[in-house]
Amino acid sequence: MHEIINDAVDVEVTFSSNHVAPRRMRWNERNYEIRTVNLVHSAMEGMKRVFYFSVSDLTNYFKLRLDTDLLEWRLVEIYSDG
Amino acid sequence: MHRIILHIDMNSFFASVEQQANPFLRGKPIGVTGKRSSLERSVVAAASIEAKRLGVKTAMSTWEAKRICPSLLLVSGDPKKYSVITKRFNDILRKFSPLVERFSVDESFVDITEQAKDELGAIAIALEIRDQLRKICGELITASIGIAPNKFLAKLASESVKPNGLVFIRPQDAIHFLDTMNLQDACGIGPRTARHLEQLGVISFPQLRALPLDLLVREFKGFGFWLHSVARGQDRAPILATEEKAKSMGHSYTLRHDTWDPHEIRHYLLALSDRVAWRLRRDGFVANAVSVSLRYGDFGGESGEHRFSEPTDDGLTLFRIAWQLMEQWRDPLRSVRLVSIAASKLSTGSVPTSLFKKEQKFASVLPALDRLQRHYGTDAWTRASLLSTRFHERSSGFNYDHEV
Repeated sequence: MHEIINDAVDVEVTFSSNHVAPRRMRWNERNYEIRTVNLVHSAMEGMKRVFYFSVSDLTNYFKLRLDTDLLEWRLVEIYSDG
Repeated sequence: MHRIILHIDMNSFFASVEQQANPFLRGKPIGVTGKRSSLERSVVAAASIEAKRLGVKTAMSTWEAKRICPSLLLVSGDPKKYSVITKRFNDILRKFSPLVERFSVDESFVDITEQAKDELGAIAIALEIRDQLRKICGELITASIGIAPNKFLAKLASESVKPNGLVFIRPQDAIHFLDTMNLQDACGIGPRTARHLEQLGVISFPQLRALPLDLLVREFKGFGFWLHSVARGQDRAPILATEEKAKSMGHSYTLRHDTWDPHEIRHYLLALSDRVAWRLRRDGFVANAVSVSLRYGDFGGESGEHRFSEPTDDGLTLFRIAWQLMEQWRDPLRSVRLVSIAASKLSTGSVPTSLFKKEQKFASVLPALDRLQRHYGTDAWTRASLLSTRFHERSSGFNYDHEV
């Protein structure tokens, strides 16, 4: 099932080898352990750069949005298998 | 010495990027479509390798694709994601040669004559490109690579080894290779040319080669010279490493539903005119002509063009002329599916100042609106009349909407 959302979430990240990688996310009172970062891309919204992290745990795909102006993380898409 | 040209074509591009981003789509038949809000009116912009095996083809309507392959998962396209991969792809290619020509969003030509020196060198470069593609763009992003003495043969070669193949065509093998391919596999020989050739009794490359040059020129004019050359595996077209200057700027939009409502058509035409005008001002152009076209629900279409006495870069002016033009020939009894407008006969320079105070006032507001748009993006401002007119992003074969 694929859902488009736009919820503020808490994200824990690591900074390693010059890269930032989300490791844990808290959404709807639940913690999700991120297993893989599948794709990172950025887009310009006017002068502002926004980063998107396509990540997954064992059962879900999440698309996280990092606003570099506000330093705010949002969960913008979720896909669950089945 | 002959040239060494690579044609690199990313396989099932949009679908592969979606499978790279979302591992739960891997190994499944997926079709990337246009707008999220109207999947059923959309077409399959790209089918995954798994979907292609089940009969789904690019540009097939979504309902037909679903009929052929009921398990097909439709995924709404995300042009921003694809454009980043396109950029990474071309950046990888530029590491190997400065002579890179972006042919579309998912394929490019590279001239590696100097860098490769010979066949082994060329294959080593091709394998290195494939490896970097996997490391930088992701393991699901694969490419077919054709290596040949010219662009025509390189493209045909990569087509022959889809998906994910690699082939080297030596100059002495070009004719033999051509003769194993269909005429319509060749880039530049479309259905119309193929029909015309068929009328002349030509359905294969050997038959095309047998036609004398004067007959080809009589039938196809200048294009006949090209047909005569490519039938012999010859193509002198250079790699165009720099993008050509824009000759026109346009936007088209397929509406979310077919409509007879002139207000709705007007609104989309005005919104498209504003987009075109913004690009003109952003890139320092003024338009000396505008063309407008419609596609009806029955897929028939009409178009018209008007040349201005004075150049313009204002959306409202473009819209007024385009609307007047359209109303001369629009059939009110037929529903409209697609609206399109293009500013053409572009030149650089400024727009003459209007004598009317109202127009002067609006012209003075435009630079401020442009600054807003530059800072906050495309949706920074809109006309009050267009508040309910929304565009949904889509992907196309040659450009990304958000980049133009």
